[in-house]
Amino acid sequence: MSGGAGYQLQQFIPFSSDVYLRLLERIGETYWPWHIATLLLGVIVLLLALRHKASAGCMLLAPLWLFVGYGFFLQHYAELNWAGNYIGYAFIAEALLLLCIALSGKGLAKTAPDKRPAVVIGLALALTGLVGWPFIGLLSGNSSFQAAVFGIYADPTAIVTLGLLLIMLRGWLLWLSAIIPLLWLVVSGLTWWVLLTPQ
Amino acid sequence: MHTRLSRRQSLKLLGAAVAAGLLPSLPVVATPALVSAADKSPAVLLRKPIGKQGNTLPVIGMGTWRTFNVGSDPKLLDARTQVVKAFFELGGGLIDSSPMYGSAPDVMGYALRKLGIPDSLFSAEKVWSPAGGSAREQVAELKKRWQVAQFNLVQVHNLTDWREHLAALQQMKAEGSLGYIGITTSHGRRHQELEQIMTSQDIDFIQLTYNITHREAEQRLLPLAQEKGIAVIANRPFDGGSLIKGLQRRGESLPDWAKAECGCTNWADFLLKFIVSHPALTCAIPATTQVAHMQENMSAGHGPMPSASARKRMQRYFAAL
Repeated sequence: MSGGAGYQLQQFIPFSSDVYLRLLERIGETYWPWHIATLLLGVIVLLLALRHKASAGCMLLAPLWLFVGYGFFLQHYAELNWAGNYIGYAFIAEALLLLCIALSGKGLAKTAPDKRPAVVIGLALALTGLVGWPFIGLLSGNSSFQAAVFGIYADPTAIVTLGLLLIMLRGWLLWLSAIIPLLWLVVSGLTWWVLLTPQ
Repeated sequence: MHTRLSRRQSLKLLGAAVAAGLLPSLPVVATPALVSAADKSPAVLLRKPIGKQGNTLPVIGMGTWRTFNVGSDPKLLDARTQVVKAFFELGGGLIDSSPMYGSAPDVMGYALRKLGIPDSLFSAEKVWSPAGGSAREQVAELKKRWQVAQFNLVQVHNLTDWREHLAALQQMKAEGSLGYIGITTSHGRRHQELEQIMTSQDIDFIQLTYNITHREAEQRLLPLAQEKGIAVIANRPFDGGSLIKGLQRRGESLPDWAKAECGCTNWADFLLKFIVSHPALTCAIPATTQVAHMQENMSAGHGPMPSASARKRMQRYFAAL
């Protein structure tokens, strides 16, 4: 008999891997060719972050979180999972937080990015999410419309954002703004774990 | 559920009743099922009694957990509609869903709109606190999603706030706005509390996990259900698919004695016949996304059922695999 924790987790994932992959594909089809624009925006934010223009970086990042919150979760994911609405609102809250940081200038790194571990890890995460993530799906045999692109899909958006936050922010606002991306990555990881594990 | 019998069906019913009389001490009633083009034999789907009004239910139903949560995807909506169509064509009755299952109630609504609502449909839904709203509000919302006038059965999902929900459902049943009421659990959880509810409350159905590897319910709940005349729905008959997948992975073939003694033609047959041949069990609700699997599942509701000794043999055989 499955344990209580496993059972509780299954309650939040009421769909199969096939249906989830098909949902990702439909999202890809719906928003194409916005993928190119969001990917380009991601590269621009990374360049801004590396050039110590964190305020502008957060300003550009915020609408992408709004878009994923609405377009990915509220419009699509919530069809399959009643928890999707709450996650969508959490993504929109993250967008507002990033906007507040950009407008107030609080929490922004005061010094230009150097070779500190946080910056190096941040750069690695951002590049992984921007470049590596779309290829993982393709190499797994998924269709090109299932290629998880930053700014359209939740996973790469959260990974790239974590990387950018490590480069652009400092102090408690860094930790505060990292909570929602981190929580989503945990939820997403557990989702795939449940989907790929026989029940 | 309404049953209209033609002369040919009446003759089948008569034959089936004779066959049922020969079955090993099971409370089984047999009625004619529609025969698919693929199945040329005069198939008879076994039924078991529910409630006190003499109604019966086919022993194989259909679950929708995960399998019917496909959102608004037109391709998948049509694919699931084909599964429902096959289910009804093969004589199926009970379809079980829940507000917890994402879009599954909407997908049922889509399928029923496309196929029409057959007389054989026995619609089973649930009320579940996290879905929001009172039991009455949830039932009203679910009726719209299924596009049905009334549910045959509404259950309290996983015992959540069962006192409040059950009181509301009992009132709705008294008003005649739903047929039967029940309560569900799964994965062997909260059996003790379920036993207390069965003892203290007036309910028509319980739903719990029962399959060849998870037989805890045999100890107390199934005998109690028999004693109280409560119908029992078995969820997770294949343990979430892992039993079938495990057998396929190991390349196990069906033993000859299972074919000879119980008329099993595949492993789904074997596992489902084991479940529904328990005297206290009313119906098993396997879930599938494929018409071929639906046909396999439904075949378990036909032909001879394992006797008490054959059930023991099935258990021993499966444990030794």
